[in-house]
Amino acid sequence: MTTRTLRAALAASLVASTAVAATARADTMTMWVRASGTNAASTLVNLWNATHSDKVELTTIPDNQMVTKLATGVQAGEVPDLVSFDLIYMPDFMKAGFLTDLTADLKANPNFASVAKAYVDIATYEGKLYGAGFTPDVSILVWNKDLFKKAGLDPDKPPRSVPEIHEDAKKIHALGADTYGFYFSGSCPGCNIFTTSPMMVASGSKMLPANGNDDALTGEGVKDVLEQFKEMWSEGLVPKSAQADNGSNFVALFKTGKIGVQGAGGFLISDLKRDVPNMNFGVTFLPGMKDGEVSSFVGGDVVAIPVGSKHVPLAKAFIAWELTDEAQLEGLAKNNILPSRPALADNKYFAADPRIVTTAKALGVGYVPWVYHFADMVNSDSSPWINMLQRAIFDGDVDGAIKEGREKMKAIAAE
Amino acid sequence: MAPALIFVGVFVLVPLGQLIAMSMTDRSLLGGGRFVGFGNYIKIWNDAGFWRALLFTVKYTIVLTPILMILGFGLALLTVDNTPLKRLTRTVAFLPVVIGLSSSSLLWFWLFDEQVGLLNKLLTDLRVIAQPMVWFVSADLAFWAVVISITWKVVGFGMVLFIAGIQSINPEIMEAAVVDGARYWARVFRIILPLSRRIILLTTLISAIGSMLAFDQFYIMTSGGPRGQTFTAVYWIYQNSFVSFKLGYGAALSIVLTLIILAFSTLQIALTARSEAK
Repeated sequence: MTTRTLRAALAASLVASTAVAATARADTMTMWVRASGTNAASTLVNLWNATHSDKVELTTIPDNQMVTKLATGVQAGEVPDLVSFDLIYMPDFMKAGFLTDLTADLKANPNFASVAKAYVDIATYEGKLYGAGFTPDVSILVWNKDLFKKAGLDPDKPPRSVPEIHEDAKKIHALGADTYGFYFSGSCPGCNIFTTSPMMVASGSKMLPANGNDDALTGEGVKDVLEQFKEMWSEGLVPKSAQADNGSNFVALFKTGKIGVQGAGGFLISDLKRDVPNMNFGVTFLPGMKDGEVSSFVGGDVVAIPVGSKHVPLAKAFIAWELTDEAQLEGLAKNNILPSRPALADNKYFAADPRIVTTAKALGVGYVPWVYHFADMVNSDSSPWINMLQRAIFDGDVDGAIKEGREKMKAIAAE
Repeated sequence: MAPALIFVGVFVLVPLGQLIAMSMTDRSLLGGGRFVGFGNYIKIWNDAGFWRALLFTVKYTIVLTPILMILGFGLALLTVDNTPLKRLTRTVAFLPVVIGLSSSSLLWFWLFDEQVGLLNKLLTDLRVIAQPMVWFVSADLAFWAVVISITWKVVGFGMVLFIAGIQSINPEIMEAAVVDGARYWARVFRIILPLSRRIILLTTLISAIGSMLAFDQFYIMTSGGPRGQTFTAVYWIYQNSFVSFKLGYGAALSIVLTLIILAFSTLQIALTARSEAK
């Protein structure tokens, strides 16, 4: 073997070992995501994996097991590097010390300034930031333009207040006994905090108490909206099955074309386009009691780094990346998923369908309640929130229902 | 003996001890927890939601258990002979037992649906009802909807136990009864039933304990509604432990429920033993 050959062999082995070392440095992060956010999260993770040498490995956790799994994981020191979960649990997780402080990183990130305010609010605890918006969803009002036309209403003019929904609903129900003006899932606490509470918030009410000294269900908006719902129910403008609907039929009836107006989530747009492509429907903000009052409930998932993550710098890099234009547009918007930065609502992917632009803009006017025990106060099947709605709407005792709701919510907040 | 003791110790006594210890704390699912003595038990005494759920569970058990016993025994009588047709019937009746409870509950939830449910379609076509019913809008209807679904799901299990019991009866006794002129129902009531007492006890215990621990079917079909009227005791424990994050309180509720079931089961076994002694 000549000296030149030997040198070449050494050089080749050096290059090869460098490549191996580089490959070895590429890490794999683990990420837990709740089942209902998996599709949206996958689009972002796939894009990250396609453009980065470090990979993210996604694990789906059933929605109702996420809290238990993360809580036991943190206590046992067995946590993923990233976790994407329902944003309503953020206050409980931050208080419990489950999440890594991201304040310095997020405040230094120029994209963070344009993230929807609701996401910043919900991820803030004692002045520090613990997470970022990840895969948003937001509530909107949908109306069936075909039914509006048949009822003699202007199909391009959505109701701009709750009393206007009521008036339109009367005209639509007059089309036939099996056609209804309005729909809501009467036994589904989550559906109603998502679609009914924004009408109350838009009307000036505050919903949930942050602590035992804070007031619940303040303002006339709660009462006014409940009165309207009660009247629509007693006038038969809402199908009887709504009373027992625990969310299983949240949007199913609207898809049949027999419902005029209802609150829903942004997800419904792609559902309707896929399942009933011929339906002519519109999307607008959820209104309050007066024309011009609007709101929405900002839902979806936040992404955070659990305490005990083994790849904190890399996980922070992922969070910084998911807020970039590239991730927001090519990962989310391209797949008809809302970006968490409302400023990106007007993009080339949404341009073809103004309904998606409206939905994306709803993020900017939306709210999310910052409270502990949200599940107890709202999402539980025996929560004061659902009890109040049912007592007010189906039993007709609006004042009694609100009074009881206030007392029970405050008691939970005081725990 | 020793392996059995180790098994019971590791898998029953240690977890039970931990549960009792946890029931004396205000531990949250999110961590932490202080010793509160019998505070959780005092709270249970004043928890109207728990007592309502427990009462509902007892009602469910009292209604469902006889239905399962009578239908199971009736099916066993009809299919006890080993002819091919009766074997096939047994298999068909037993099939739902092997389906998961959650799956069968979901199946029945949609069968009862007002809009797309086959049951409403059948009842309206047969003119039993004029309009499709909303089954889960009333606590009573929701209760019966669950009872129907569970009867379909588990009646085959009781049937198989009863068949095993009936087939173990000495054929000579039955033949002697026939020779003595005993008619069919006389043989059923005077020979088969008394000699199936142990199987009846076993089936009753399994059915009653299963009903007292009912959860999946109500979680999936009624979500505890309407207005929390169909919460069972276990569902209430779940709500407190995993929705409200109150693990300590949930543990105390579990201990109370365990003691109640233990008391009922002991009473049932004692009563049966006494009647056997007579």
